[in-house]
Amino acid sequence: MTTLHVTFRVGTADYALPAAQVLHLESFEIATHVPGAPTYVAGLMQVRGRVVPVVDLRLRFGLASIEHTIDHRVVVVQVGTRVAGLLVDSAREVVQLDETSFAQPPEILDRQSAGFVTAVATLANRLFLLIDVSRIIGEELTHA
Amino acid sequence: MTHVLIVDDSKLMRAMVAVCLRPLGEVDFVFAGTGLEAIEQLALAGFDLVVLDLDMPELGGLEVTEFVRTQDRLRGLPILIVTSRGDAESRARLMAAGASSFLEKPFAPQQILQQARQLLRSEAAA
Amino acid sequence: MNEPNEPIDLQEFLGAFVVEAEELIATANASLLEIETAIGDATSRPRAVRELFRALHTIKGLASMIGVEPIVEIAHALETLVRAADRAGGSLHRGAVEIALQAVGAIAERVRAVAEHREVTKAPEALLAEIASTEAGSVASIPEAAIPPEWRTRLSPSERQQLALALEARVPVWTLSFVPSEANAARGITITTVRAGLGAIGEIVKVIPRSVAATADVKLGVAFDILIASDATQLAIAEAASTDPERVFPLVQRVPTPAAELDLDSFEPVERDDGGAILGRAVVRVELPRLDDLQDQLSLLIASRFRLEREIGCFSELGHNVQRLHEIVRIQGRLLRDLRRAILRARMVKVTEVLEPLTILVRSLARSGGTVVQLELDACEVELDKAVADRLLPALIHLVRNAVDHAIELPDQRVALGKPRAAKVRVSCIEVAGNYLEIVVSDDGRGIDRAAIARRANCPIDDDARLLEVLTSPGFSTRDVPTKTSGRGIGMDIVRRIASDLGGELSMTTQLGAGTSFTLRVPVTIAVMDVFSFQCGPQAFVVPTAVVDEVIEVDAERIVVPLNLHADGTASPLSLIERRGHAIPVVSLGALLAIDSGKRARKALVIRRNGDPIAFTVDRMIGRQEVVVRTIDDALVNVPGIAGTTDLGDGRPTLVLDLNELGIMARERGME
Repeated sequence: MTTLHVTFRVGTADYALPAAQVLHLESFEIATHVPGAPTYVAGLMQVRGRVVPVVDLRLRFGLASIEHTIDHRVVVVQVGTRVAGLLVDSAREVVQLDETSFAQPPEILDRQSAGFVTAVATLANRLFLLIDVSRIIGEELTHA
Repeated sequence: MTHVLIVDDSKLMRAMVAVCLRPLGEVDFVFAGTGLEAIEQLALAGFDLVVLDLDMPELGGLEVTEFVRTQDRLRGLPILIVTSRGDAESRARLMAAGASSFLEKPFAPQQILQQARQLLRSEAAA
Repeated sequence: MNEPNEPIDLQEFLGAFVVEAEELIATANASLLEIETAIGDATSRPRAVRELFRALHTIKGLASMIGVEPIVEIAHALETLVRAADRAGGSLHRGAVEIALQAVGAIAERVRAVAEHREVTKAPEALLAEIASTEAGSVASIPEAAIPPEWRTRLSPSERQQLALALEARVPVWTLSFVPSEANAARGITITTVRAGLGAIGEIVKVIPRSVAATADVKLGVAFDILIASDATQLAIAEAASTDPERVFPLVQRVPTPAAELDLDSFEPVERDDGGAILGRAVVRVELPRLDDLQDQLSLLIASRFRLEREIGCFSELGHNVQRLHEIVRIQGRLLRDLRRAILRARMVKVTEVLEPLTILVRSLARSGGTVVQLELDACEVELDKAVADRLLPALIHLVRNAVDHAIELPDQRVALGKPRAAKVRVSCIEVAGNYLEIVVSDDGRGIDRAAIARRANCPIDDDARLLEVLTSPGFSTRDVPTKTSGRGIGMDIVRRIASDLGGELSMTTQLGAGTSFTLRVPVTIAVMDVFSFQCGPQAFVVPTAVVDEVIEVDAERIVVPLNLHADGTASPLSLIERRGHAIPVVSLGALLAIDSGKRARKALVIRRNGDPIAFTVDRMIGRQEVVVRTIDDALVNVPGIAGTTDLGDGRPTLVLDLNELGIMARERGME
């Protein structure tokens, strides 16, 4: 059974998220910096009438930040009642991924992305890393 | 696990239908004695099949069927009407209101089991 | 349990059949006696006739399943007779009652035979013949003019008679609603218990299910509208239905109206007895500023708790076991969050209250415009913040007025187009995820001609989103264009501004010839505050004016620097500043927020913390204004010192600072 996934690029890797979790894609101009928030939080953005926190995925994944280009996108996701944005290098494609093709992420990969990657999917010789959105937006913080 | 809602104001009838449908396998039966209770149950949980009697106090099977079909969430819910009313007019009215199938009393246990199986199969396929 | 292949034998149910059949026979007899008594009083009992029919119908069904033919025959014959009576308004004459009693007796005999394993004798031919030749009812029907139109269409003839009888006998008739929910069910309150409770103190005429907005508690939003005739007090009825007396209404048009045409001139709402409506329920009018005060006090409490947490931290560094203390403080945090929520709830008003004025508006607009319009309010149980409601109403009035004035065609035009004579304007609201409310104002009028607007605006319009942009651009007015397909009048830019000021959004869809629909999405809770806006470095911030004692000038002479004096004269963390003859601590807000301002601070905001003044320097004051503040509590940005966000008009979130918390932070860092 295939499910629709939104894919995006951070650094040199392609990632994927189930379309069901994605509300919409926005272009990125600037986010209001929040002093005291974790470094990987780019800040707050106003999106379609909502104020959402934006996580810079480059920083979240331990990569160096780069200058913003027009390709940059904010993937607005919803987890439970929380809505947040993920700042990525680019987000162009929406693909159908076959869940039976999902495999365990190789150990090296897992260590680097600190458990954000839950599985690896293949589609036409391309590799997509499936990520755990809850982990990325710090879902465990809400239960502190 | 299949969830079946059995609606009839006769306690005995409800029990008989449940017994007839046990061969479906892993089934969870919920009973409602009036159309009102039926709607309340539908509001609180999800079901795979509703077996519905027609003549009940305050709110009958026809009105329940009509109301259910106005709810987006319940569009695909199979409704099996079970009644003593065999007339063509009732049947036509019910099918027009959105009932999935119609079974007249008296019926043999095999009949209702078959109908239920068919409805559950087509719901799963949808 | 039966194996899948074993045939199921319904004969096992014989015992249960006897029990239930005897119960049904008892019900049938009771109903018949009630009907007979009523005949003696020259009246009828439609409800009893309905119950009699059901009892017979059920016996027939059960008997057919078990396979007792004679009972089926008798029950069927009698059922036919009673059904005819029910269809005609629910009355039986004496002769019919007599024969019915005989028939029920014949059934009872045969049920006994089943119970005693004796042979069941055939149905007596003579009896069957007599039943077939009996006419149903003859008690004169009551005129039903007294029944309001929207109930009339939803009741069967028998139910209408039942209602008419009650009204004629001057038995009060009430309407109320019951909403099932998991919370209610957990307390043992279901539609069944409500029905039983109400049935005990009155006669239920009808219960109609109605869709309402789904909530977290109830996935399928449903409410039951109940129509009951009862001599009991409003309070007793409310108790039986587990609702408030305020929500038990004498028979008025409170249920969602179907598309029946309203004759505007003869429309007189039944007066509600407001004196008696507030029975046993305490209501207090609270002025909004008092609730604002409460919220301020709460902020101080929250800051105090942070401080406690820090102290506990210090304590633990000394080696003490602070687990229990941490636990207590953690619970305090939760209690404070609950308190904040409770205060926000106190500011809530029901959407229905907000929408009420619209009905009168529509009536007067339609009358003057010569159109026939019916306003349908699908107001859910939702509540929203009074501040939001106050700002929202003008927007809704704009939209509704535009609809009635511009979008609705004249009755004859509508009929010529194949539309119902009465136009429908519908205002509905639903809660959507993330604490938002969507209010939709829709009509089945002309729709908006995109092409015409595009010509007028001199630019291409591909979709409804673009159309809305054009319609809401300031200065765009369609007044001069012939009205037929010109769309809305002026005021749309105002509506959009209201939506975005509230932190929401306006959207629309339209179909030429069919109608238009506007959706306002707004947050459910917000707060409106008077704030000072200022800059630290490149970033703008605001703080509530309520916490600020004074705004003072900062110049080098006034800074009394005990120790660290920078060459460029900027205030170092540990500084004091002269104010009104006293030296008070001064903190660089930029430094505290780790913002590199690169400028000299020019102004300072003085606040009081525990009675002691402290000054925060900022680079530049922008101004003072009233803004809508939205609290943010997402875990990612849950940092001390940030109370929420607002929009100063540039479309970007601007942070609202909590200077009390920041003051504590400053102290912790040894900055004052």
